[in-house]
Amino acid sequence: MVDSHRFLDGVTKRVMRHWSDIRATGSIPWTPLTIPVPQCTIALVSSAALALNSDRPFDLEIERLDPWSSDPSYRVLPRDTRTGEVQICHLHINPAFAKQDLNSVMPLERLVELVALGEVGASAPSHYSYVGYTLRPERLLHETVPSIVQQMKQERVDAVVLVPV
Amino acid sequence: MGLVQCEIEAAGFSTISLSMMPDLTASTGAPRIAAIERPFGLTLGLPGDASGQLAILRATLQALGAISEPGGVVDLPFEWNHEAKLNTHPAQLPPIASYLRRHPWAFPRFFNRTPPEPTASEIP
Repeated sequence: MVDSHRFLDGVTKRVMRHWSDIRATGSIPWTPLTIPVPQCTIALVSSAALALNSDRPFDLEIERLDPWSSDPSYRVLPRDTRTGEVQICHLHINPAFAKQDLNSVMPLERLVELVALGEVGASAPSHYSYVGYTLRPERLLHETVPSIVQQMKQERVDAVVLVPV
Repeated sequence: MGLVQCEIEAAGFSTISLSMMPDLTASTGAPRIAAIERPFGLTLGLPGDASGQLAILRATLQALGAISEPGGVVDLPFEWNHEAKLNTHPAQLPPIASYLRRHPWAFPRFFNRTPPEPTASEIP
């Protein structure tokens, strides 16, 4: 059984246990997977705040000025993005591991390998990242996610793997 | 992550979260979870461990196909036995941790996820 709190210190563990007890109301959304994974086009979504070096970085000043919030925007990572081509703009993790190997948090190369092995239909042209920390998620959910969803629809994505950090 | 997952699922995509805190992800009403024990910043394991990363992604996608009920959770069978002490913390305290040290009376707001209304200057 996976221990949700194995790597947390005392206070954080207490907070996360309490947050886990705050249950969402309403029904769980459900879109059945109607085609086998080996025929699916898959997109990855990472909360590691990854941005191409050539792209605008996430605005860390938002969180520094107001620690309850963070930059609610997102960045696109093309499927051929590799380690060294991205910056990590996340203030809650040690970015050293992802800088060494992007696949530790965003397994784009591993996804391409599964496509080559015939275990996945295709890697979507675009993958996505946002800042995973915020206590004010409204703009993220109501502005950012709809934009991501629109692009996923245009690229005929079938299924999405979300990878937190 | 679970909140974002729910929005994407509701928009018509089948989704799964590879979660290191499955209890927290499940509390959001996430439709599918592949649970894994990994330190923060190392969701798919150590840098350079391509075979380990591949196995985790493969198992996650198998769980995507296997979970047939909303809220289904699959515990992935990958133990974390790395002996060496890894520094998974950022170089500086996250802003909220630093803020709460300076404003300990705000801790109940953090604990209960009831942030204050942003001031006009804070709205980006």
